[in-house]
Amino acid sequence: MLILIFVSIFLILIIFLFQSGQMKKLEIKEFQAIKNVNYDISQPKFTINNYKRKISVSAKGGNFINKDEIMLQEDVKFNSRKFKILSNNVLFNKKKQTAKSDTSSIFISNKTKIKSEGFDLIENGDVIKFNGKTELIITK
Amino acid sequence: MKKIILILIFISPISIAREKGQIEITTNQGIEVFQNEKYYLLKDNVNIVSDDFELNADLVKAYFEKDLYDISKIEATGNAKLSSIKNIAAIGQKIYFSINDQQIQVEGENSNLNFNNLDMFSNKLILVDNIKKNFILKGKSSILKTEEIKIVASLITGKYININDVNEIKELDIKDENQLSITTKTAKMFSKKAKFNKKNDIIELFENVKIIRVNEIVEAEYAYIDLINESYKVSSKNNKKVKLLIDNKTNE
Repeated sequence: MLILIFVSIFLILIIFLFQSGQMKKLEIKEFQAIKNVNYDISQPKFTINNYKRKISVSAKGGNFINKDEIMLQEDVKFNSRKFKILSNNVLFNKKKQTAKSDTSSIFISNKTKIKSEGFDLIENGDVIKFNGKTELIITK
Repeated sequence: MKKIILILIFISPISIAREKGQIEITTNQGIEVFQNEKYYLLKDNVNIVSDDFELNADLVKAYFEKDLYDISKIEATGNAKLSSIKNIAAIGQKIYFSINDQQIQVEGENSNLNFNNLDMFSNKLILVDNIKKNFILKGKSSILKTEEIKIVASLITGKYININDVNEIKELDIKDENQLSITTKTAKMFSKKAKFNKKNDIIELFENVKIIRVNEIVEAEYAYIDLINESYKVSSKNNKKVKLLIDNKTNE
């Protein structure tokens, strides 16, 4: 009799844990959905052009800060023929064609890798400033 | 999987371990890349480590040719320190070195460049051109030292040859508006100008010449010193006399 009670309690516990796990997964999915919905632009893609180079910019989402500035969020990528920059939060100014990040960023170019605590991309990408503690690795 | 790798890269502390053949550059205040001008600025507490050399400075300007990896010239400013496996060590307020031209320049107070067996000190400028095999030391009380000779002057220019990784002085042209000094194992010499030629091991001294050897002091306007047999000829013009002081005390 006692064994039956224990087995029943055990089974109820397992069912309860399983259901709460499922609930959590649902909550996460819902949260992500809300988060995606909360982006002003989903998966924005555009280019920064100057007479020398074209830089393609993409991200998972973007929120308008004001009429000129967009906060690009998650998997932000700057791709040009010569380099690639990866970061998570980048403030892009449409008017000035500049980008700024205060989060960990990685720059990858031919035989070169830069890791910094943020970056500023100015003058249509002709000048890139990597901020904070920075490491550059050159492969010969 | 790709996401996990990206997350790991972003959250990991700033450190990408250097592998053999790579150059690792670290800074405290970032890097500014000027793509049109083809250089980048490395700011604050800069450390550059490669298989061949290590460089530290407050600020470094690195010029490149095709891309960032292709460094052609480095200008290091503020407490600059360079050491190389090719027996080059330099300390100065500024160190410039051109990789293609094989030139190294050290500037500022208490500059020092040790290049194989040539030890150079200056308070202004030291420049070595390893292709043309010549050097310049500028500035009051600049010093050139080897195992055989020590020269102190405000301007020392010279040529060298490299034999089995040892730099041997081939020619010297030395000037000082006050007084230069040359110290060898057997004599101490002073003048305003001096020339040295390794071909026949001759030192020529010009103007206000003074030679001090164990038992004698010679004063003249010109001296021609043969370092092989340690003999010399002296002369004076403009009615000035050659003065020779012989001290016999040590022979008594």
